[in-house]
Amino acid sequence: MWVNMGPQHPMTHGLWNLRVKIDGELIVDVDPEVGYLHRGIEKISEDRHYNEIITLMDRCCYVAGIAWEHVYIGAAENALHITAPERAQWLRVMCDELQRLASHIMWYAAFVQDLGLMSPFLYGMRDRDLILDLFQSFTGGRLTYEYNRVGGVRNDVPSGFTDRCRKVMDWLMDRFVEYDRLCLGSEIFRRRCDGLGVLKAKECVDLGVTGPMLRSAGVARDLRKDRPYAVYDRVEFDVAKADAADVTARYLVRMEEMRQSVRIVRQTLDWLDHHPGPVLADHLPRWLGAPYAPMGNEGYLLKRNFPRGTGFAAVEEPHGEAQAYVVNTGGEHPYRTKFRSPVFVNLSAAKHYMIGYRVADIPPIMGSVDICVGEVDR
Amino acid sequence: MATDDLATQLAPRAGANILAVEPFQGLTARVRFRPEGALDVFRAVHDDLGYDHLSMVGAIDWVDHREVFYIVWSDVTKQYLGLSADLTGDAPHIESATPVWPSANWHEREAWELVGVAFDHHPDMRHLLMPDDYAFHPLLRSFKLHEPEELEVKSRSV
Repeated sequence: MWVNMGPQHPMTHGLWNLRVKIDGELIVDVDPEVGYLHRGIEKISEDRHYNEIITLMDRCCYVAGIAWEHVYIGAAENALHITAPERAQWLRVMCDELQRLASHIMWYAAFVQDLGLMSPFLYGMRDRDLILDLFQSFTGGRLTYEYNRVGGVRNDVPSGFTDRCRKVMDWLMDRFVEYDRLCLGSEIFRRRCDGLGVLKAKECVDLGVTGPMLRSAGVARDLRKDRPYAVYDRVEFDVAKADAADVTARYLVRMEEMRQSVRIVRQTLDWLDHHPGPVLADHLPRWLGAPYAPMGNEGYLLKRNFPRGTGFAAVEEPHGEAQAYVVNTGGEHPYRTKFRSPVFVNLSAAKHYMIGYRVADIPPIMGSVDICVGEVDR
Repeated sequence: MATDDLATQLAPRAGANILAVEPFQGLTARVRFRPEGALDVFRAVHDDLGYDHLSMVGAIDWVDHREVFYIVWSDVTKQYLGLSADLTGDAPHIESATPVWPSANWHEREAWELVGVAFDHHPDMRHLLMPDDYAFHPLLRSFKLHEPEELEVKSRSV
């Protein structure tokens, strides 16, 4: 019998439909049905200026907006042959890691709530708000930031920001201990999660699965380490890894990643304290929204010919490897953009980690995948 | 340098189908190949070069022809490699990459429904993001964003 779990179902965070074929309580086939949130971001991009696409990227994944900005900006800067100043790169790394914390805490809150535990949800939302407050203090937004720009970032952080951020990081490190005590110490949690949704390393690689799901299968693959972008080669951190490849392993990986993110954020704050400088590249053409183009130079800047090219960038987004492919044929709009969403791929492998389990196992398994429909459908 | 090495390594199994190995912004290199020999190229890249992880498949409408591109990753070299083929003709089609990289499944479904490139021998070719009876390929350049097509979309069958 085919059962539709979605598009409106407490298990689906967002609008999608998990069609499950069941035999009694046993799952014999699954068919994820997506597209309910398809907004055609790739099509809309064809008619937009390079900097206007950043707005779309925030809406691409609504819990990791700034990480998606970084994905797109990396490819756009490659395509336009522009390099961002050093300080902007450090700010981007700080934003990425703060976003990873916010995204993982959001995942924790939603995932544990799926299992029927309500109080961790409230704790999670409380702690995530502190990070959103930090974001608000320098981007003005809490969910959609529009902070990155081709050639840098929009503005610097305000004075006193780094101290405030350090306080939040200290607070979070204490909370992670509580999170673990609430979950790993709970017999009910362990019995609902251990040994479920297993996807071994070989299958993960064949199916293109990335991010915490891949690392929970014992593969220590992390773009931040393997192919450092921005300034990730200048910060110290360890790649979180677990071996069991099940729901609990994914929980452990994400928890460890949060601790590592705090470690990275602290290093970026130390650097930002001691290295003031510009955050946006000079000599950007007017159509890239350069705010301080010298008077009288607009004509020159407009005519300045940017080389054509295709840019590619890959970023370790909270859910996995996100990639952008931006084709620039000259002119103010990209000819074609293509985005690779890690959740899209992780979800496409659903058959391989769901068949053989029971209906009541669906919420923990799907919760551990950390699905964000915004970036699946784009 | 790197591009020469790649060309030599690919030569034994797919040499005849390789058109060029060129440097590419953000990638190790991009391999342009003939669509007729797609499966040989995929096998050579997967087995001989060790690029066992397919990251994405996309298609571009260049108006006079369409291009299909693949981004693959190797855990050994820690590098991305691009593959690309130009498809000409009224009904552009290429062999599906699913026998070599199973992860190509959804990517190819998306590339077909958005850009109208057919993937031969795909195991499960259905609409993915658009409704089941959607008759257009929205990422074609001829599909204008500001002139909405007349269409009536039936609800999905469940």
